[in-house]
Parts: sequence; structure tokens; C-alpha cells
Amino acid sequence: MKPVTVTIAGTTRGMRRLLPIAIFTIPFGIAFGAAAAERGLDPGFTIAMSAIVFSGAAQFATLDFWGSHIAYGSLALVTLAISARHIVLGAAVAPWVNQLPLAKRLPVLVWLSDANFADSQPAFRSGETDVGLLLGGGLVLWASWITGTAFGVIAGRAIGDVATYGLDVVMICFFAAILAGQMRVRSAIAPACVGAVTAVAALAWLPPGWTIVAGAVAGGCVSVLFHAE
Amino acid sequence: MPSDWSTWLALAVVAAMTYGTRFAGALLMARIETSPRIERFLESLSVAVIAALVASALAQAGGREALSVALAILIMAVTRSAIGAMVAGMAGAALWSYALP
Repeated sequence: MKPVTVTIAGTTRGMRRLLPIAIFTIPFGIAFGAAAAERGLDPGFTIAMSAIVFSGAAQFATLDFWGSHIAYGSLALVTLAISARHIVLGAAVAPWVNQLPLAKRLPVLVWLSDANFADSQPAFRSGETDVGLLLGGGLVLWASWITGTAFGVIAGRAIGDVATYGLDVVMICFFAAILAGQMRVRSAIAPACVGAVTAVAALAWLPPGWTIVAGAVAGGCVSVLFHAE
Repeated sequence: MPSDWSTWLALAVVAAMTYGTRFAGALLMARIETSPRIERFLESLSVAVIAALVASALAQAGGREALSVALAILIMAVTRSAIGAMVAGMAGAALWSYALP
């Protein structure tokens, strides 16, 4: 395997690959900005939150907490549950990312999210060694998330409901397509099925967020338990 | 809503969770000796996490989302373009919303 690097060229390539996805996620940023404005959050604070936190799911969940008395403990638990899948994503890219020196590793991980993970991971597994792909994808998603939030804070509800344009299914369709592409490798089929079934079954027992982690770990265990040595 | 220190402290709490988890997976794996077994685990983990995301979203949604995902998978199988698949899925969802208001 070639040594793992992170280059400007690779980062630019990652940005180009995820630009179409990023553009379609702008309406979610708008929806978040509008929802935050509706709850009376300061415009600058809202935009800062998108720039600093960069997690749509976690930020929407925090909207119930901003008030005169902030329940820090519950806020921490809710955002931890929603972010717990990041641990799985980080572990899965570790074989590549961990070959970088720590000073380059952490900046790459800062922009780790579902969409750039879903895009880069199959590429890494087919021999890609430029982690810039992951970083670039994250950067373009981050930029569009902040842009969308700023629009939402300023223009409010002008855009209307994202569901009208089918924009609400962008991410799930993108993930389903990536998953379908991965099913060409036969050894990936069993972990995917177990992961899917476990996550759905866990909806009855686990709080949101942890169900994804349960599915991922169960799917991961399949190949370890049932692999012919 | 007061934009004072308590709000910024809460933001720091949220950021600590999102970045703590982003760093944790890779840092944890750096401390574990890799073996073919661990590599297989990580390989399956990366497929299973996406499968879990899609399945739990579908389980909490309806026919409209199921149709979109089916279209996306079909287009992916035919064209091998994830972007094309995404656009097809969106078109399906938009049509559904238009036809069944």
C-alpha cells in the first residue's frame, strides 16, 4: 500500500466529489437557521453554532434547550447520544487516518461527518491513499452548512418546507446508493443486513442515536464471528 | 434569549461532545494492535453503520421515503452514479408529494 498522505490536490478532489451533495444540503442549513431564529436565538450565535458544532442532527436537538435555565447535563447526554456514531466512523477510517502524524490527523477528523465518510470509505478500500478526499468533502459540507444557516437566519421561512422539493430525502438516498454500491462485495452483505435489522430492532429499546451504534457494532461482529479462518 | 456566558458554555458542551466523538474512534484504534480480525471488524463496521442509518431512517418514515430509496438503489445499480441516484430519489419524493398532497 502506498503511504497515506493528505494533499491539496486530494482535498480539492474531495470538495468536487461532494459539492453536489453539499449544495442540496443548504436547505437544511436554512431550515436550522429559521428554526433557531424562531426560538429567539441570536443570529450571530446561531451562525457560530453551525461553524463550531457542524452537526445538523445535534444542533436541531439542542433547540429544545436554549432558554433562561440551560440543563447542561441533559444537553450533554442528548448530544453525546446523537454524536456517538462519530466514534464508529472514526474507528472505520482509522487504518488510513492514523498513518498521518497527529498534527494532521486531528484537523482531518474535525470535519468527519456521515456524508464525507460514506464517500471516502469505499474509495479508501479500493486503494485510495489521499485522506484529503475525506477532508475536502468535510470542508465543502461545512461551508454549505454555514451558508445555509446564515440564509435561514436572515431570510427566515421564505423557502418553505424542504419536503415539497424532495430535499428531505437527499441524505438517505445518497447513503442508500453508497450502500448499494458496496453490496457488490459479497462479504459486505451479511454485515449490512445485521446492521440494518439490529438498528431497527433497537429502536424499541435504545434512545435515538445509540441504535445506529448498536447496528454498526452488531454488523461489525458478524464478520469476526463467522469468518472461515 | 440571553446571549451571555451560559449560552456559550452550553455551546462548548455541545462542541465537546461532537468533537470528542469525532476524535475518539481513531484515537482509540491507535492504541489497539491491529490484526486481520480487527481489520475485518472495521471493514464490516463501515458498511453496517451506513446500513443502520438507512434502515432506521426508513423504519421511522413512510412509503414516500421507501419509494425514493428504492429509486436511488435502482439508479445506482444501473448507472453506478451516487449523485444520479440521489437526484432520482429526490425526484421520486417530490413527485409523491405533488401527486398525494
